[in-house]
Amino acid sequence: MGNGYKMAVLIKQVPDTSSAAGVNPDGTVDRARAKRMINPFDKYALQKAIETRASHGGEIIVVSMGPPPAMEVLVEALEYGADAGYLLSDRRLAASDTLATAYALYKTVVYLKDVDIVFTGLQTTDGDTAQTGPQIAERLDVAQITYCETMEIVDGRIHASRIIDGGIQKLETAPPALITVANSASRLEHKKFTNVHMVKKLSRDKAEMEKRIRVVTLDDIGAEPERVGLLGSPTVVGKTWKLGEKGGSCKLFKGDKPSHEVELLVNAVASEGRGVEEFVL
Amino acid sequence: MSQYEDIVVIADQIQNDLRPITFELLGAAQTLAAKLDVKVRAIVMGHNLGSIPQDLIHNGADSVYVVDQPELAEYTTLTYRRAAISVIESFERPPHIALCGATTLGRDLAPRIASHFETGLTADCTELDIGDYEHKGKADPSKTGTYNNCLYAIRPSFGESLKARILGPWKNPQMATARTGALIPFVTDTTRTGRIVAIKVKFEESDFRVKVIETVRAVSDALDLIRAKVIVSGGFGLGGPEGFDVVSDLASVFKESAVGSSRKAVDSGWIPYSHQVGQTGKTVRPVLYIALGISGAIQHRVGMSNSGTIIAVNKDEKAPIFQFAHYGIVGDLYDIAPMLKEQFKKSMAS
Repeated sequence: MGNGYKMAVLIKQVPDTSSAAGVNPDGTVDRARAKRMINPFDKYALQKAIETRASHGGEIIVVSMGPPPAMEVLVEALEYGADAGYLLSDRRLAASDTLATAYALYKTVVYLKDVDIVFTGLQTTDGDTAQTGPQIAERLDVAQITYCETMEIVDGRIHASRIIDGGIQKLETAPPALITVANSASRLEHKKFTNVHMVKKLSRDKAEMEKRIRVVTLDDIGAEPERVGLLGSPTVVGKTWKLGEKGGSCKLFKGDKPSHEVELLVNAVASEGRGVEEFVL
Repeated sequence: MSQYEDIVVIADQIQNDLRPITFELLGAAQTLAAKLDVKVRAIVMGHNLGSIPQDLIHNGADSVYVVDQPELAEYTTLTYRRAAISVIESFERPPHIALCGATTLGRDLAPRIASHFETGLTADCTELDIGDYEHKGKADPSKTGTYNNCLYAIRPSFGESLKARILGPWKNPQMATARTGALIPFVTDTTRTGRIVAIKVKFEESDFRVKVIETVRAVSDALDLIRAKVIVSGGFGLGGPEGFDVVSDLASVFKESAVGSSRKAVDSGWIPYSHQVGQTGKTVRPVLYIALGISGAIQHRVGMSNSGTIIAVNKDEKAPIFQFAHYGIVGDLYDIAPMLKEQFKKSMAS
């Protein structure tokens, strides 16, 4: 393959719920105070693109949609080795559901022209739907491989394995294709010093950085504003409520002699008619 | 006759074996259908389906639309997409609601169908209901109004201890995928009868862009998590991948058992993703769930809190898992797990 593959990796900035900052005692997230991070699933997608470029050459363009702070994840992706970035940022995108988000990202991929492979994470940790990837593939009218674990390209054909319930499916297709990468795929390599150094230099030169990571609007990519945001979303969140707490009913065994506590516990399970007996060998 | 169209359930089958989610979707669909006074139609796709259409009738479908063609012997996105869309488009009007499993099949297929119809799709629901909705949007006046008998697609909202009700009454079918183990399955009734309609689908060359080279079924003797009656799961508290030896060893004392894990253990590379229980893994509802070294973060909890009996082992008495487990032991799992194994044998073995 002469010029390698043109790859778009779609990444998202999500709240970091593993950190205490911005996580309320009831488990809800205060997005303004929460730490932000690259959606962890997207790192596996970026790694697949990096591996593909290492074997076949080509260009990795990271794409994100979100408010201006989402620039941070694009910069971080450059440190990991992406070649360029695009941030689709437009107030009219606010409150987009998966269908509207997929439309906007599809228009962005088309705007990039001649993308061979689109990589996405399997899902995000905040939306948690896994829908956007396949919805983009549908609009692009390309093949998709979701839950992808391994992938290589041989003679211009993509050979990939995908997780299915109860096993693995081995598939073959050709670009253009969209691949959503599972979090059991190979982990993202460490940042290379040269990339980190390059990004450090870039961040001191606003004009150069703006060339490397372009901020685009709906108008730039030719997306119809009525198909994104509230207007373009066929779903809305009607109501939210807290999951009921069942606290306090746990029978806790915490004495000094573990074997005795275990005996008490198992006997309690046995005496309370929980139907466990029939499954003990 | 109802003013609403029917409810469609897309059957989830692998190698002519209906997955448990299919019966759960049919159970939920029948409950919704009764509220709307409509019928439940199942769509099943595959090859040499044999008695499967009849099984669907016995398990809650009022009619079954069958696409039984060699091209569908193995699931691929594009062939199943073509077949499902063709069947739905053969109906006079779009169904009121369409449901899929939130399985590796449903999560692959449903978004393509929803995108094709430009309709809403809610992922990974744990409850489904019917109700009214008043939309008071200022930004989108074209949608404002009161809508009756909408699908309430209810799902835990991300990594948070909230549930959200998602609505999309503006366009039919209103679509949702549901997690395995969350909905109550239809109670099989072999006296039920219903119409079985064979549909022949015309594929296009482009539907075969992805070829299945090989399908490898799980070779391990570990039972599928979803079907397991007893699940022993390990978390970050195991301290390393070798900890899963202890988990498996405890699981070995139970029939129909499987090994699960928390997300942290999967993310640490200690065990494959297929074992992950929780919001971004599988939802399970075994008779017995034993959690070893799992703190019980909300992300894990939503995947297993409906288990019949939950036993938690954790060093930290304040771990959230003790908030919702039925029984807990505070201690070192490496001491406790082998003791649990012996005690279960001693107290309960037949």
